[in-house]
Formats: sequence, C-alpha cells, structure tokens
Amino acid sequence: MRMICLGLLAMAEAVALREAAAASPVQHVLVQMPLLVLAGVLLGWNLRVRRDWAVPLLLTALTAFLFWMLPRSVDWALTPAGEAAKNLSLPLLLGVPLRLSWPWLGPVLRGFLKANALSMLGVLGFLYTHAPVRICNSYLVSAQQELGFAFLYLAAALACLWAIPVLFGHPKCGSFGTAGCSRCGV
Amino acid sequence: MSTASENYIPGHAAAAPQAGAVKLTMILSGAVFALMMVFGLIMRAAQGQWIELDAALFYQLLTAHGAGMVGTAALSGAAIMWYFGGRHLVLTGGIFWAFLGLFLLGVVLILGAIFIGGYGGAWTFLFPLPALSGGAWEAGAAAAFMLGYTAIGVGFLLYYLELGRRIHTRYGSLARALGWNLILGREDNDPPPPAIVAAAAVTIFNSIGIILGAAVLAASLVHLLVPGFEVDALLAKNLIYFFGHVFINASIYMAVTAVYEILPEYTGKPWKSNRLFAIAWNAVLIFVMAVYWHHLLQDVVMPPWMLVVGQLVSYFSGIPLIAVTAFSTFLYVRGSNMTWDLASALLVLSVAGWSVGSIPASIDGMISVNKVMHNTMWVPGHFHTYLLLGEVAMAFGFMAWLVRGKTIARMNGLDRAGFAVYLAGAAGFVTVFLFSGAASIPRRWAVHYEEWLTHDRIGTLFSVLVVLGTLIFVLRFVARLGRSEG
Ligand code: HEM
Ligand SMILES: [Cu+2]
Repeated sequence: MRMICLGLLAMAEAVALREAAAASPVQHVLVQMPLLVLAGVLLGWNLRVRRDWAVPLLLTALTAFLFWMLPRSVDWALTPAGEAAKNLSLPLLLGVPLRLSWPWLGPVLRGFLKANALSMLGVLGFLYTHAPVRICNSYLVSAQQELGFAFLYLAAALACLWAIPVLFGHPKCGSFGTAGCSRCGV
Repeated sequence: MSTASENYIPGHAAAAPQAGAVKLTMILSGAVFALMMVFGLIMRAAQGQWIELDAALFYQLLTAHGAGMVGTAALSGAAIMWYFGGRHLVLTGGIFWAFLGLFLLGVVLILGAIFIGGYGGAWTFLFPLPALSGGAWEAGAAAAFMLGYTAIGVGFLLYYLELGRRIHTRYGSLARALGWNLILGREDNDPPPPAIVAAAAVTIFNSIGIILGAAVLAASLVHLLVPGFEVDALLAKNLIYFFGHVFINASIYMAVTAVYEILPEYTGKPWKSNRLFAIAWNAVLIFVMAVYWHHLLQDVVMPPWMLVVGQLVSYFSGIPLIAVTAFSTFLYVRGSNMTWDLASALLVLSVAGWSVGSIPASIDGMISVNKVMHNTMWVPGHFHTYLLLGEVAMAFGFMAWLVRGKTIARMNGLDRAGFAVYLAGAAGFVTVFLFSGAASIPRRWAVHYEEWLTHDRIGTLFSVLVVLGTLIFVLRFVARLGRSEG
C-alpha cells in the first residue's frame, strides 16, 4: 500500500511538472520522464510474476525505452495525444515491466544493461552537444546543448553509483572481510 | 627430465575448469596469428616491391592485419586469464562460450566488411575516415566493420562482468582484490594471488575502455547512416585512442598471468603478491588510462597539460609493472635450477621482449621525439616488439605448457629450431622497423621509394622466419593436443 501511494505521488508530481517540461528539455527528459518511470516501478513494487514472463517483460520495457529515447518522440510528447501516451506508457510499459522482470535477470545481464545505459547516455550526450541541427523542434538549440551535458553528467553519476560498491565492497557486507560477500551481485 | 614441477603445487592447481574451451580458443588464436602474419608478410614484400599488390588491397590487408592481430591478442589473453582465473574463482562456462561466439560473429562481420565491402580505413576507424572513402567502399562496409567491433565489445563486456562479479563475490570488493590491504599494510590472511590482482585491474580499466569505445562506435555509426550528424573530431579521436590504447595493452596484462602462474611450476618457488607488486598494478590501473594522450602529441589543439601528462605518464606507465615483473622473473629464474622447455623459454622470453619493447615506446612518448617519429616505422617497430616478443610469446608459451605432458622434458631439436627461428626472426624484423623509423620512413604507406626498399626486403626475410617459427609452434600444439586426448 505504501509503495502504491508513493507511486501515485510520483505520478502526480510528474503531471504537475507539465509546464516545466514544456519549458526545458532537461526537466522534461531527465526529471519528468524518470518520475513517470519511477511511478511505474513503485506501483509494481510488490507484484511478482513467473520466471517465463521475465524476457517478454524486459523486451517490452526496452522497446518503450528505445521509443522514448528518440528525439522526435520527445517532441511528440508535447502534443495532447503524445502527452497522454507518455503519461500512460512510461509507467505501465516501462516502469512496471522493468520492476517485474528485474528479480529474474542474472547479475551479468543486469551489469550488461547498466553498462549499456552508460554507453547510450554517452552517445546521447555526444549527439545533443554536437548536433548541427535543432533535433527537437520544440526547444532551442542552447537547451539542446544543456540536455547533452546533462546526459553526460548523469552518465558520470550513475557510473560512480554503480562502481563504488563493486570497488569498495558493500557497506553491509563488511567490505574487507575475508569471507567475501555472497549476497550482492555486481 | 626433471621433477621440479612436483616440488611446488600451487593453491588450487590441478583444477582446470573449461580447459576444453580454452584449448579451442588457443587453436583458433594460433591459426589466426599465423594467417595474419602471412598478411603482414605480404604487405612487407609488397612494400619491398618483391610482389605486386594493388594499393587498395594493401590497405584492406593492413586493416585486417591490425584489427585481426589486436583482436587475437585480446582473445588469447582473455583465454589465458580465464584459465588461471578459474584456479581461484568459480567461473560460469556459458559466459565464455557466449564471449567466444560473439567474438567469432564480430570476426565474420569484420572480414566481410574488409574483403567483400572493401573497407580499408585501418583498425583505428578514426573519424571521419570511415565515412570519407572517396569511393573505395560504401558506408555499409564501414558500418559492418563497426558492428563487428560492437559484437566483440559486447562479448568482452560479458567476460569482464562475469569475472568482476566472481572476484567481488570471492574477495568482497575489487579494492581488496587489487591488493589494497597489502598496500595499506592491513592484515589479510587470504591475500589475492598475482593472477587475481591482474584480473581485477584489467577488469576495471578494460570495462571503462569498452563502455567509452561503445559510445564512440555508436556515435560513428549514427554519423555513417545520417551523415548530417557530425561528431566532434577531436573528442572522437580522444575516445578512439583511449579505447584502442587500453584494449591492446589489456591483452598483454591478461596474458602475463601465464607468467605468474606457470613459471613457479618450473622454479619451485610460488609467485606471491607483495606490497610492491600490488602498488605496481594499481599504478598501471591509473597510468594505462592516462597515457593515451601520447597518441595525440601532434594535435596542437589539445590542451597542453594533457600532452604533458601524456609524456610524463608514458615514462612511468608500464615501467613499474614491467620492472617488478621482469625483476622478479630474473630473481626466480636465477636462483633456481629450472628446466628449459619450450614453455618456460617462451615465457621468460616474453617478459624480456615486453620490457625491451617498452623502451622505444617511452622514447616515442617524448614530445620532442614524437615531432619527428610520429607516423614513422618507429611506431610499428615498438609495438611489434612487445607484441611479437611479448604477448604472442606469452600465448605460445601458454600453449606449449598446456600440452607439456606429465613430466617436463628439455627442448628437443624441433623445439630448439622453432624457438631460435622465431626469436631471430622477430628480433630482426622489429629492428628493421626501428631502423626504418629512425630513417624517417613513414608508416602505413603502400608504395615505398626506391631508397627504402632495402629496409623492406630485409624486413621481409626476417618475417619469413617469424612465420616459420609460428607454424612450428602451432602445429606442434595441435599435434600434441591430439596425442594427449586421443
Ligand atoms: C610475421 C609477423 C608480422 C609481420 C610480417 C607484420 C607486418 C606488418 C606490417 C608490414 C605492418 C604495416 C607497417 C606500416 O605501417 O607500413 C604492420 C602493422 C601492424 N601490425 Fe604487424 N606484423 C606481424 C606481426 C604482428 C603481430 C603479432 C601483431 C599483434 C599482435 C601485429 C599488429 C600490428 C598492428 C596493430 C599494426 C598497425 C596497423 C595499422 O597501422 O593500422 N603485427 N604489421
Ligand atoms: Cu598508446
């Protein structure tokens, strides 16, 4: 119940950010959209599915992710139809399926997805900072550059977040103990 | 005959998980090494005008040789480190097969791109060359080449994720596996053995290299497909050389685990991690990533401090590790009365070759020298030294050790001949490259001036010897493999 409330809260917050999203692509792509995904993750927090659902769910989530990664989808999300699609699909087709499939993914696959996310953020950063044209019609070129740098900062932050426990051990596990930690994957 | 191997039984020895997969990988590596060497021989003979070779084909061969050799060095290094990692860790065999499968898929794409699509933009795919072929190849060929790299990168990523995960499980953190307890003087009653220190360091820096490499590959692919999308050329060059430098160095740093794990069987003295050893590897972890600027010493638009760091770090980069490894090898070998069979001879040679090769590398890392030597044969001269006499010798030494049989036997006539021919050929071949570099003969030229032909021809003769030696090693390996299993 608590998770569902939190999920609804995240959803409400995302919807409240409508104006901000229209004003700046950083707030749109890196605040509002992640909030919508988070809402889905929280809504699905206590659900469990069978193992054979994991792969289709993961593919659904990745497809939704790929779709919303495209600059033209970001443009479309500012029209009424697109906005409705965004508000529904990001939680339901990305957040929930991701949450449901995650427990079934092996540690190597999880690591691969994370590494891939870093590379893709790098590419997006690359493209948005150096694109010779305006990629999103709804935003200024300068805002596009800001978004590019924001992608790069996010990549750096995530890289640290994911790498530090692996490098220095999990705080819970008594990092330098000789027994090692068998509870946490990568 | 000797019984040295019975005196010392390392930690978890005997256990050789996935030896079959590793042996298969080594056969493939040996065969590809031999084939790529023949490509090299053809290029050298064409430069010396002993054979006639269309210039376009020369650049295709150059691309195949560069990508193929770097890839195979990494493949054989990875197999070696997997084998010895398996002595200390539980590794999932399926990951290795997935790695090998993705690698071979990449090879097919790359060979198709080069010999069907005509791609000849060198293994470094430096932006924007792949998109500016001047009609020599279509964008599709360059894209296939990059997709091939991507497949290989994904394979390596899986490999390192599995390794990193297992090291983390076994040692609690990568920092501990890097020997930080040894460095900080803390107590550790289960310190990481040298192979694990190496595996932890390589896992970290090569994963970073691959993630950045994947980013620049994807950006280059976008540029190929949508030419309007420019990539910043200087940023792309930085990323490509970061990736390339780290990746080729990783091949040696992986293969050297063979030295750490095999030589003790000959000397009877276990090779243990100590404080100096751990410091050297941690230094390498930083340096190998900070040193790639030496590839950009000609790029005057680079911030000067980066180039200065590149120069300074070039002095120090390999040196602590090589010094520690070479010095320890020397001590171990001198104090023991070890048997020289093909495996031990090649492994000791590899440490020597690696050390010697780092000298011309450091020289070229000096900005003042680089002004003259950049893009001359000096560069292939130095890297062929630590690859032919370093990494490849480690791989051949490991292969010889895999099929050594139950007792260590001294070299027989054929072993001696193979070793001598390989050593003489490789030493001569790289020396000619270095001389050519000192004489300012440029690298990567299909057609050479009359005055350079003597260099090229002597080089060609030496490379025939290298190919001969390699054939002996590889065929001997295959023959003995059949004998020991059949
Ligand atoms: C018989 C052995 C070999 C021969 C005859 C040979 C020959 C050559 C030749 C002629 C070149 C072009 C030089 C130029 O720029 O004009 C070259 C480049 C190169 N070789 Fe080799 N090589 C041999 C072994 C190796 C090995 C064992 C490796 C690595 C493991 C290697 C890696 C490379 C690389 C990375 C390049 C640079 C390609 C480029 O410039 O794009 N080679 N080699
Ligand atoms: Cu380098």
